[in-house]
Amino acid sequence: MLTLAAGLPLAWVLARRRFPGREVLEAAVVLPLVLPPTVLGYYLLVLIGTRGPIGRLFEGLGIELAFTWRAAVLAAGVGSIALLVKAAQAGFESVDQRLEQAARTLGRSEWSIFWAVTLPLAWRPVFAGTVLAFCRALGDFGITLMVAGSIPGVTQTMPLAIYDHVQANQMREADLLSLVAVGSVLLLLMGLGRLARLRF
Amino acid sequence: MLSLAIRRRLPGFELDVTWEAEERVVALFGPSGAGKTLTLLCLAGLSRPDAGRIVVNDRVFFDTAAGVDVRTQARGLGYVFQGYALFPHLDVADNVGFGLRGRPRAERRRRTGEVLERLGLTELAGRRPRELSGGQQQRVALGRALAVDPALLLLDEPLSALDQPLREALRDDLRAVLDEWRIPAVVVTHDFTEAYRLADRIVVYEGGRVIQSAPRASLLWQPASRAVARVVGLRNVLQGTVLKATSERIQFRWRGQTLEAVNSPTHSYLPATDAPLAFFIRPEYVRLIRKDRTSADATHHMNRMAGHIVREADFGTTWTLYIRLDEPGEPAQGDFDLEVEVPHLVYEILEIERDRRWEFSIHRGSIHVLPSA
Repeated sequence: MLTLAAGLPLAWVLARRRFPGREVLEAAVVLPLVLPPTVLGYYLLVLIGTRGPIGRLFEGLGIELAFTWRAAVLAAGVGSIALLVKAAQAGFESVDQRLEQAARTLGRSEWSIFWAVTLPLAWRPVFAGTVLAFCRALGDFGITLMVAGSIPGVTQTMPLAIYDHVQANQMREADLLSLVAVGSVLLLLMGLGRLARLRF
Repeated sequence: MLSLAIRRRLPGFELDVTWEAEERVVALFGPSGAGKTLTLLCLAGLSRPDAGRIVVNDRVFFDTAAGVDVRTQARGLGYVFQGYALFPHLDVADNVGFGLRGRPRAERRRRTGEVLERLGLTELAGRRPRELSGGQQQRVALGRALAVDPALLLLDEPLSALDQPLREALRDDLRAVLDEWRIPAVVVTHDFTEAYRLADRIVVYEGGRVIQSAPRASLLWQPASRAVARVVGLRNVLQGTVLKATSERIQFRWRGQTLEAVNSPTHSYLPATDAPLAFFIRPEYVRLIRKDRTSADATHHMNRMAGHIVREADFGTTWTLYIRLDEPGEPAQGDFDLEVEVPHLVYEILEIERDRRWEFSIHRGSIHVLPSA
């Protein structure tokens, strides 16, 4: 959800606006895909740690970020947002701009045009991007480990749990969890794939 | 009432146009890439001119001097895009009602129903755009723009997406809709017949400039320059040398002939003797002189010339003859001097197929002088 809320506006801005620094922003969005997760996790930790600027901001609000479930969520979001943004950007760019111009001449506000024209027409790529981003978030390992640790029951995500079990030579648990991971993602993807083929 | 003066510079193109119109329907006519669509986008506020002023019905939409730039949404114009740009994910009724959001639901439905009814679209209300024919799509695009009661309707090549026979039928249909809704409109087209049939005033564009703006009839009979004559598609646009010009008549030399033309009373044009003179002769106004009739008198046949047919072309109902004068020197238009158009029946009666040498005449009122700027 966080990824969607941050990713869609970002994708729209990249697809429709021309402004100085656009290339820099575009490159920055893709960065999490290219950098090793540990590097990304390290920078994120520096930012949200108790002495990092964002960490301190949230501490002032009484919210601790590093090594909590919030950090795990953030890690998953940062790692996956690029997939969503790139897919949604391509989707928005594929929408004929004359349709948006037509809506403008009919008196609709930019906000209303996005919901009534752009998003419904770019629905498929946005949806595909969301699925990819979600899968990437589920499978994240490195970033989560760096910023949230692997505290059982708190910040331990499935991939981390599996890793711990293998380290402890508990192969049965690792088998079981891996099977659950593969099975649930497979089911999810199949269900979403069917949904994506629906016309509306 | 519409007045517009805008400058807009793009990479490799500059639009710099000024025109005004009192007439209800105006056509922007000219070749592709002349800046017609860009003008329309500027009118709608979808493209911002670098400088200028746009006034529609006493409302200032844009004025760089006064810092005015009304948003597209607030201009209240209808825009019919080239290719129509219908919303593919909405049905006909939702397309037509798209601009009515913000009004009460009942009124929205009433207005949509009314527009569909008036345009004969009621039965198509539930269809998607891709299920419609080109003509139906055009109607929906019109309906979508008209539903919001625009102060001015802008149409960008409204007929170019259609096949030729349908195109001609819908051209007159479109004019009927514009008349019925009594709505001012600006139509962009590259087809002169279309401009002439649809509009009361024609603004001729070329290379980002306006080369003439005039009521449609005066554009056809008094093009302001050779450039306009060429763009409008006039044939036999020729150049001679002035002998004597009065406000009534102009005498001039062309290809060894002394010809006389009426000086248009509205454009009292008085070029100096020996000045070059541009003029055009409509191919259908050249009269072949029948050989079986006895000596035609001079007042009946003025501007007499003689020549032979070098080529001809059959256009079904008419024939075009390419005639070269019996004069030494280079012909005026490649391998011929004049294009002459005769009806098919005349071609047969005069046995033109066998007889290739002809005398012909042109009434002085049929030689149209083109004042050069």
